[in-house]
Amino acid sequence: MGEVFEGYERQYCEISASLARRCTAASALQGEKLKQKALEIKSGIDGAEALIRKMDLEARNQQPSVRAGLLAKLREYKSDLNNLKGTLKRVTTGNAQQGLREELLESGMAETLGVSADQKSRLLRITETQNKTTDRIRDSHRTMLETEDLGVSLLQDLHQQRQHLIHAHNTLDNVDDNIAKSRRIMGAMVRRMDKNKWIIGIIIAVLVLAILVILYFKFVH
Amino acid sequence: MGDHEARGDDFEKKAEKKLSGWGIFGSKYEDAADLFDKAANSFKLAKNWSRAAQVYIKIANCHMKGDSKHEAASAYVEAANCYKKFSPQEAAQALNQAYNLFLEIGRLNMAARYSKDIGEIYQQEQDLERASDYLERAADLFDSEGQSSQSNSIKQKVAEIAAQLEQYQKATEIFEAIARQSINNNLLKYSVRGILLNAGICQLCRGDAVAITNSIERYQDIDPTFSGTREYKLLADLAAAMDEGDVDAFTDAIKEFDSMTRLDPWKTTLLLRAKNELKKKEDDEDDLT
Repeated sequence: MGEVFEGYERQYCEISASLARRCTAASALQGEKLKQKALEIKSGIDGAEALIRKMDLEARNQQPSVRAGLLAKLREYKSDLNNLKGTLKRVTTGNAQQGLREELLESGMAETLGVSADQKSRLLRITETQNKTTDRIRDSHRTMLETEDLGVSLLQDLHQQRQHLIHAHNTLDNVDDNIAKSRRIMGAMVRRMDKNKWIIGIIIAVLVLAILVILYFKFVH
Repeated sequence: MGDHEARGDDFEKKAEKKLSGWGIFGSKYEDAADLFDKAANSFKLAKNWSRAAQVYIKIANCHMKGDSKHEAASAYVEAANCYKKFSPQEAAQALNQAYNLFLEIGRLNMAARYSKDIGEIYQQEQDLERASDYLERAADLFDSEGQSSQSNSIKQKVAEIAAQLEQYQKATEIFEAIARQSINNNLLKYSVRGILLNAGICQLCRGDAVAITNSIERYQDIDPTFSGTREYKLLADLAAAMDEGDVDAFTDAIKEFDSMTRLDPWKTTLLLRAKNELKKKEDDEDDLT
């Protein structure tokens, strides 16, 4: 009788170990592959549960002296199986924190009473808030990046305008010089004009004088 | 509107008469040009762009005969403005004439500005070869005038066009040169990441995985802060995906970057080309195996 139980025990240990390995492997996967692995692990867990039930039956058929020890082992295996179920759930839902809390609460379930509905709803609300916070952070990150791009293009525009201003400044210096030169030239032109006017005036005066002198001499003689 | 047209016609005829007769003191070209100017104004008010443009060309001819190239060049520019409203090709030609005249006069600044305009018109018309040609000339002229910032922004456009024409080596070199210049400038150093990303994308399109990793290291040298940026992460991921020939990883990396900042059309086109090349390589490998 004991050998049957031990045989079941060994089988259960093997299955449990392989399921634990597959759970850690599955936690690194995504999407389709994850679902496949999850299904495989689920079927493995179902097999393990069947084994435990058989072990339970065997244990109850034993002598009372060994029954207590076997039942204790059985309780350990049951809690172990619940751990595996919790891990699987955690891997499929992908929310580590929620999974840990569930695991904590579920392993407590084996010894104490069930989880109160109050705690469950609180957990759900907390998860919701966390998701919303994550979304908001992503949005603000995006806005910040857009602002940064805007800032970069503004800096480029400023740089171009700086160069334009420097160029205009230099051109204005040239204009300054040219205006000073033209002022001098205009002054020179005005003086020349005056000089010419005086010269022509004098020549006209001299000519008129000459004409008067000739006429005078003509009439006197 | 008909009124303006009629007045425009009037002025034009008067100007033609002036030209055909012989003027006093040889000032007939200036007078004719004056009258043509009034005619062109009336046509612009009448929104008759084609006639206005033609009249401006006539003004330019008058000024050329009258030996004032500066005025002629300005007239060509006005003509190009009118042409832009309905025929980009002719606008580009008119601007070309203006550009040559400005070069002769020595006003390199204006020549550069109009060369840039011509380049942009050709870029809109998708005549990328000529666009790239004119934009390069504009960049060189701006450089010689000391307007390095405008020159840099034009060179970026040239590099983008070169990449679109699959001249990846040239594009990469231009981008890297611009990045090296900008990193020293306090105002421009924040834009270096974007430039290096563009350079990296050009390298990716060439499909040479070793060259890409070398370039990424080079960019690290040019800009010490580059390795902390999302652009660096994107380039590293894309290079790794290209190495492994994994199209899915490629797409994932791009999607992640796009979820944060939208990719502009130029980058999207080039990345699509790189992805198709990668897919082709993957298919070739599958055929062999």
